[in-house]
Order: sequence, then structure tokens, then C-alpha cells
Amino acid sequence: MSHAQVAPARPNRLRAWLPFLLIAPSVILLLSLVLYPLLFALKNSFYFWNLQRSAEPLQFIGLANYKMVLSGPEFLPSLTNTLILSVTGTIIEFALGLAVALLLANRLPGMSVSRALLILPTTIAPVVVGFLFRYMYDPAGGLAGWLLTLIGAPPPAEGILGSSTTALAAILFADVWQWTPFFAIVLYAGLLSVSPSLIEAARLDGASAWTMLWRIKLPLVMKTAVIIIILRFMQLFNTFDLVLVLTKGGPGLSSRTLGYTLYQQGLVDFNIGLASASTWIIVIMVNILVTLYAAIAFKNWEW
Amino acid sequence: MTHSNVTRRRFLGTTAGFAGAAALGSLAAPAIAQERSVRVLTVGDPFQYSLRELLPEFTAKTGIKVEFEGLGYDALQARLISSFVSKTSDADVINVDQMWAGQYTDNGWIQPLNDFAKGDSDFNINDFVPETLHSISTWRGNLVTVPVASYSQGVMYRKSVFEKLGIDEPAAGWTWDQYKEILGRIHGQEVDGVKMNGTVVCGAQPVPVVHMFSQLSASLNAPWFKAFPGAETWDFTPQMNSENMKRAVSLYKELYGLSPQESINYTWFDAGTRFSQADIGMFYWWSAYFTLVNADGYMTGAPSKVKGDFGIVPCPQDGTNPSRVSLGGWSLGMPSTAGRPEEAWEFIKWATSAETQKAMGLNDKFGHMFSDFSRESLFADSDLLEVYPFLPQARAMLNGADGKLARPPAPIYTTLEGIFGLELNKVLAGQSDVDAALEQVNTLYTNALSGNFMLPYVQPSFNDTFDATKALIASLA
Repeated sequence: MSHAQVAPARPNRLRAWLPFLLIAPSVILLLSLVLYPLLFALKNSFYFWNLQRSAEPLQFIGLANYKMVLSGPEFLPSLTNTLILSVTGTIIEFALGLAVALLLANRLPGMSVSRALLILPTTIAPVVVGFLFRYMYDPAGGLAGWLLTLIGAPPPAEGILGSSTTALAAILFADVWQWTPFFAIVLYAGLLSVSPSLIEAARLDGASAWTMLWRIKLPLVMKTAVIIIILRFMQLFNTFDLVLVLTKGGPGLSSRTLGYTLYQQGLVDFNIGLASASTWIIVIMVNILVTLYAAIAFKNWEW
Repeated sequence: MTHSNVTRRRFLGTTAGFAGAAALGSLAAPAIAQERSVRVLTVGDPFQYSLRELLPEFTAKTGIKVEFEGLGYDALQARLISSFVSKTSDADVINVDQMWAGQYTDNGWIQPLNDFAKGDSDFNINDFVPETLHSISTWRGNLVTVPVASYSQGVMYRKSVFEKLGIDEPAAGWTWDQYKEILGRIHGQEVDGVKMNGTVVCGAQPVPVVHMFSQLSASLNAPWFKAFPGAETWDFTPQMNSENMKRAVSLYKELYGLSPQESINYTWFDAGTRFSQADIGMFYWWSAYFTLVNADGYMTGAPSKVKGDFGIVPCPQDGTNPSRVSLGGWSLGMPSTAGRPEEAWEFIKWATSAETQKAMGLNDKFGHMFSDFSRESLFADSDLLEVYPFLPQARAMLNGADGKLARPPAPIYTTLEGIFGLELNKVLAGQSDVDAALEQVNTLYTNALSGNFMLPYVQPSFNDTFDATKALIASLA
């Protein structure tokens, strides 16, 4: 009797577990690719582990690595530069990208060629972009210096990359050149989804171009914009490749970012414990900033 | 029409033929695997291009095939450390910068070469200039690498500029005060329509600026530590805020004031190339540039504007104190994980032999660009003297040169160099003054050394003197 009662329950149990089984490979992959390295770094951040001294962690040292990172002379300047670069870069790239997207959406002559050309910078590795701009910023005959002189704003005597006042801006400009098209293309795709009948109705109601942008187009692409803004902000917060090729953080600490400091600690000084602590400090900061941003940006959203 | 030619039988026959060839190929594979070969990982310095040209000769002579790869400075070290830590055999022969040798040996990442050298009559260790072995290749009384390119530091000056400005050409035994005074007379003058800079410095952080500055700190007798490496008991208490170090940094800042301002971002080759552009009166730099400034760029072969118009003289000294010259360079070592140690030693011995080094020097594919010899016999070689007439001067500059004094190879050298390079760059950029920068360096050194269990230093010490190296050479000869 009991068999007869239990037997029909099997398919139900399988059905109940099936979603978990199906999702399990993805979860396992995610855990192994994301969570494991983070937890491994968390563990290392509490150990003295410098590859210049030993191939293995030598000693548990509690929060000493965190203290060393936060009290280091390069931390605050790096954080300041990183915030300037990420916030300014994201705003400029978004604004320029939106302008370009609106231009593309106007179906002017030559737009299909422009669309194809726009994608090019985003396909180049940042290191290569760094080298391209290094030649452009070269004090001995670089294009940027020549153009600046032409418009009556000659570069500093130390060169664009050698001056404390222009080094960070030069990195920012290279990043803007590379990533503005990314915003433009994604926002252009968002604009294409705006119904032409909606625009036509607004036009018949006498709405100005500005009103249509502000009241119709922008609200409709805002969900896309919020997501790519988060993505670019996080990428910019971790910038190190352009810094490595263009300035190595100099002169002094003028253009050093947290990402470059992390590179220095991990791949030049080989201090795994210190680099792990830096990693976690950056992870925490980025998550706090992104959570705050998301809380404001996603407020009152219907999903 | 073509289709009609492909019958099923022909298709099957062809397929079977390919399958048979593949099967035979797989049978032949073990035979290929047994071929002798060696993997070599080097840095992309000029010597590497000369050496690369000669690799077919090595294979022809020994039957050993060479997989040869050149990387940038940072990339090389990252790749090496990565393979050491993962205990993988990335290469059988590796390039080792002089400051890495101690750290690599202490960690067991490279193996001492004493046994190889001692048992090999062809190696001829007595032919090496002892200063090069001491500075580049020894650690705790062992031969751990073999020099493949040795550089001292010397001064290059424009003869025509000196003549037109009525300045006497400098001679050995001169002082840094005289050096500075001459630069002041050149700086800002117009010669042949060119506005001259007194000198050019290497200002880029962190490594290049330390390389050039450390010649000054060596000259002005400003050691980094209290007692290392020539001491019975090592004491890494930092001495970075000493009066002599302050004098050295102040002098370097003055030299920057007499240089093109963009040199704050100059790396090694930028400084050399700038001299080649003929608007620099005089500068000191690695002896590799005695040759490289003749060319208008890296590996172009085209002559520069200063070719034939510059003289070479030893670095100035500090008053009447004896001259102290920085000696650096690259050597070849053997990782502990090397899968083919016999082949690796064959390659090291060949690449550093007098015969190969001479051929590297005479190689003219990209213009002559290798004169960084470590072997005594090559400085007097008549063929080489025709190409590099300055070799006797270059040899004289090696006398008493000491790389371990100029840039002490402490176990966490890379970290210390990073700290120092940043602060030197800040001084040049006007972001810090000399006193504040050196106090900062001293504090950060203390923190880093304490954090790495080097203050106090409780591990075994080794009195690493030039005499100890000479004794080692005698024991291996």
C-alpha cells in the first residue's frame, strides 16, 4: 500500500527539483569564476604574501594589509584621480554619445558609413589606444601639441603627459575618444526603438525638438542609458592600461589611479597580500557607489 | 566538368592517403620530440637583436634548436615570476636583471651554475672582467648567472659644441661641480642655429629615473642601507635621508633644470635619442649608448646627427673622492624547473663566449649596436676596435665599478625602487622638495623592510665583497 502511495510522488519531486538542476551548471560556473577568486583574494588579504620573499603566504597579519593600503601616500591621490576620471569620463562620454546618437537617428547623408566607422575605436585594445595617443602627445612633433599651438593654447613645456596639470586630462581624452562611440551606438539602438508614431504625434501637437528630446526620447532610452552608465563607470574606475602606457601614474602622483596602484602592487611588486587588500577595498567602493547610483536611478521603475 | 573527375573511388583513395600520411606523421612525432632543443626567454634590449641573428650558428654547431622570445622589461619579470610560482618550466634559459639575481636564487627559482662552470674547460671564467661578474652574476658566493651584456656609465659630450663655445674637453678625474659648471655654460646657447640644452636626464618613474640617478648616489657615496651587501652581518636600516643622499638628489634636480623639461617623462632610450638629435651638450648614461647614439633611432641603421661628433669620458667624481661607477646589465640564468639543463648550459656558454660576443659586436644588420662586453679579451680585439674605437675607455670605466653599491640587490628591491622612483619623479615635478621626499622614502623603506621581515634581518648574511667574487672566480677556474 505504501508503494502505491509513494510512487506517484516521484514525478512531482523531479518536477520540483528540475529548475534547480537546470540552473545548477550556471550557478556553479558563476561561483567558480566570480566568487572563488574574490574569496581567495579575501583570504590572501589577511596574510603576508610577497612573491619577492616567498612563493607561499608566510604569516597571518590580520588587517595590516588594509591599514598599509589606506595609510599609503598614494592612496588618496589615486582615489581622487580615479573618481575624477570615472565621473567626468562617464558624463562626457554619455553626453557626447547621446549627441552622436541623435545625429545618427536623423538619417542624414553618410550616416551608414559613420555608423560603421564609429565602431572602430571600441574594437582597439586600450593598450594600443595608449600607444596611439602617446605618439599624438609626443612633445617632438605630436599631432595634439601642434593642434593646441595652432589654436593658441600651446602645451606645457614638460609636454602634455609630463605636466601635472594636463596628464590626467590627456588620459581622459584618450578614453573619451575610444568609448564615446560605445555610448553612441547603444543609445542609437535605443532611439531606434522609439515609435515614429509617437514622435509624429508630438510634432503634430507642436512639441519643439528640445521637448521631444527631453520628454519623449530621453525617458524612453533611459533604462538603456542607466545600464551602460553603470558599466562604463565600473570600467573607468578600474582604468590602468591607458595610465600604464601613457604616464605610469606620473608626473609624481598626478595621474595615478587605483587600478594602476593595484597593478603596481600585484604585478610589479608582487605583493599578493597587499594587492588582495586593495582589490577588496576597490570592490567595496565600487559596489557602494553603484548601489547608491542604482538606488537613485532605479527608483520608481517598473520592471 | 570538374565534378565528373571526382569519383567515389578517387575520393575514398585520397582520404585513405591523407589518413595514412597522418598515421605516419604520428609515428614520426616521437622522433621529433627527441630532437634537442632549448627555450630562451630574453628582454628586448639591443643585445637580444644581435644574438637572435646568430641562433642558426648555434643550432648548426650543437644540433640544438632554439625557441627564442624577447619581452619588455615589466612583462619579462611578470612572466618569470608567474612561471616560478606555478613551478612550470616556461623556459630553460632566462634573462636576469642584476637586481633580480639574489631574490631568484634565495627563493630557489634559479639554480647556481658553479658545477656547470667548474666542470667546463671551454667556459674560461678567467676571461670575464671580475667587476661584471661581481655586479651582475654572483650571489652569496655562488655564480648564479653569466653576463651577456654589461653596461657601465660614462659621459658623452658634443665635441663641436665644446669647441664653438670655447670649453675645454673634460678628462678623467674631473668633478661633478665642473660637470655642472660646463652644463651651465652650454644651456640656452645657440650653436649652429640650434638652441642647446645643457644635458638630458631620465625622469620617468619608477625604474628609469632610479637607473640614472643611482650613478650620482654611488659617486657621492650615499648608500641605501646601513650594512649591505659588503658586511659580515647585513643591516637593512635605510639611510635614504643621509646628507650625501640629499646632495645627490639636489644635484639631480639641478641637472633636470638644465635639461629639456619633457625629460621628466623620458625612459632609457628617450634620453639617448634626445642626445642623437644634437640639441644636448653633454649627458651621462649607460655605456650601451656610446654605440646607440650613433644611430637615428632604434634599429634603423641610419646615422644620427651626432655620429662622429661626440667624445666619451669617465663620469665625474665627488671632489677628491675616488670615482664610483654604476655597473649594470643582463645575464643568462637557468630556472630550477629547466627541463633541459644540459642544453641550457650549452646555450649560456655559447651566448656568453668570446666568439659569439665578438660576432654579436660585428653584426651589422641594424647598424653596429652591441659593444657591451664582459670578457677581457674583447676589449683588445683588433676587429672590434675598428668598429668601436672607444673600447679601451669603456674597459677602463669598468675598473672599480660596482653595481651592487649603486643599486643594492636587496630581496625586495623592486618595491624599494618603486618607492624611490616615485619620490624622485615628484622632486623633479616640483611636487615635493628634496628633504621631504627623502624623509618620505626613508619612512616608507622602514615600513616596507619591517613588513617584509628584513628589519631586523635574521636570515644568514654573506659578506658580498669584490674580494669574495675574486675568490669565487679562482675556485671555479
